[in-house]
Amino acid sequence: MQILEVQHLQKTYRSSRKKIAQAVRDVSLTIAGREVLAFLGPNGAGKTTTIKMIAGLILPDRGDVKINGRNPHRDAEALRSLGAVLEGNRNLYWRLTPIENLEYFGVLRGLSPKVARQRGRDLLERFELSDKRNAPVQTLSRGMQQKLAIAVALIHEPQLLLLDEPTLGLDVEATQTVKRLIREIASEGRAILLTTHQLDIAEELSDRVAIINQGAIVAEESTGELIRRFSGSAYVVELEHELDLDRTSKIQNLGAIVTEKTILIRETEILYEVLHILQPLPLIRVEKEQANLTEVFLQLIQTQSKTSC
Amino acid sequence: MLKLFLAEVKRSWIQFIRYPAEAIGGIFIISALFYGLFLGASYVAGSSIKLGDRLDSIIVGYMLWTLVTFVLFDIAGTLQNEAQTGTLEQLFISPFGAPRVFLTRAIANLMIQFVLITTILLIIMSLTGRWLSFPPTLIFPLITVILGAYGLSFAIGSLALLLKRIQQLLGIFQFALLFLLSVPTESWTGSSKIVGLLLPMTAGAGLLRDMMARQQPLNLPQLGLALLNGCVYFGLGLALFRFAERETKRRGRLGGY
Repeated sequence: MQILEVQHLQKTYRSSRKKIAQAVRDVSLTIAGREVLAFLGPNGAGKTTTIKMIAGLILPDRGDVKINGRNPHRDAEALRSLGAVLEGNRNLYWRLTPIENLEYFGVLRGLSPKVARQRGRDLLERFELSDKRNAPVQTLSRGMQQKLAIAVALIHEPQLLLLDEPTLGLDVEATQTVKRLIREIASEGRAILLTTHQLDIAEELSDRVAIINQGAIVAEESTGELIRRFSGSAYVVELEHELDLDRTSKIQNLGAIVTEKTILIRETEILYEVLHILQPLPLIRVEKEQANLTEVFLQLIQTQSKTSC
Repeated sequence: MLKLFLAEVKRSWIQFIRYPAEAIGGIFIISALFYGLFLGASYVAGSSIKLGDRLDSIIVGYMLWTLVTFVLFDIAGTLQNEAQTGTLEQLFISPFGAPRVFLTRAIANLMIQFVLITTILLIIMSLTGRWLSFPPTLIFPLITVILGAYGLSFAIGSLALLLKRIQQLLGIFQFALLFLLSVPTESWTGSSKIVGLLLPMTAGAGLLRDMMARQQPLNLPQLGLALLNGCVYFGLGLALFRFAERETKRRGRLGGY
């Protein structure tokens, strides 16, 4: 079942000098339960405007947003199914402790104080923040604050979670924890819209990717499929030591490219012949050449920029 | 709504007392001002509303002035503070809706301020042995004035939403407030009287003057008009705030102060 349905969103800003900027053009997205959609794009591509339109914080000129079948711009009940950690914001009261923040935001989202307190305690336990429950938020580390912001966004058990740059500015350990939490939250059946500039994280966490550039979606498909589509059919063989001259010339004659300890095989039919020549040299890896999300992203963005020029 | 109100009271109170030095400083200033008034230094009240020359009237007038000023700038102040602390958007994605959240918060803040001032006054009265006397029915015109003040507070909040930085305008509003609370509309006659009834808060302030300075009993028809005036301004303020919220969302300028 689709938890988020975004249809043909459009937003244009007019500046004081009558300049018109099309921030978002005909953006459509869907996210089902248990699904993480990485929403990627360069700065100024329209990501934040789209997210804020989904959260009901910016009114679209055209198009429709539905969270669990309800439009957040017309029906405030839709907001009960939405949790958000917005980028550049603290999303927390720094003078309050973690448990006080959880209780307050729980009530603000429609829970009773008792339920909010209980869920708050459970979330602190789960997010490994129980020992900091009575420390003012401003004394916590950046990683702990971010974990708490995610816990606060989950206090009312929303079906849709918007995470705008959730790992920005975090150290390696905190990033790993946040990644684990995102996976866990999705596995509970929630839909997650994740934006990040850290494309390795997006690749690791997402089931699907939507790439936006200059306000329009340029690609939207499953992460694995997208990477496969941009990956070549070549193989790479990495050797432990540099290859001797005799083997090098034999392999080059077959049509492979040898550079120091690496062999690039474009024609897959010669793979086993090359491996035969290499026998019994120690190998480090034999791998099909695989694109990563960063390469796919750059290729898509650059192609689109050239087309629009 | 009651749950939200109690949560707002708790949040505001915790934020107030979390740093004791700051809280004690605030309490000290309020205590010093009211103690000064008790000692006869009526100039301490500055440009506040005059309800008569008796100590009771001066103190009630100053308290009214303090509370109304507090209410008037509460919503705009909350908007700017929340934008600075990075929690503004979280308030706007509450299923209660922004106007209800801001109103509940403003009432919670007022209640804390009221309880604080009343407690300080009670302590000063017991220390000096001078007990103020004022009719308890004073609360009714006070409510009409506070209603109007909330209406204006929503209107100023709307300006803060639309224009973002309005610090310079707030000074002008303080002058307007002084005019509205001190203009003697209760003594106006003819068409001026109708104008007096249309101005925000003035009808309630007039009733307060009648009761405190002139020791008159509560005039019920006047109270009805003052209540109507308060409700109309409250409704107008709320409608303006809803419009400003929608317009700000249309311009995509929520946050970013």
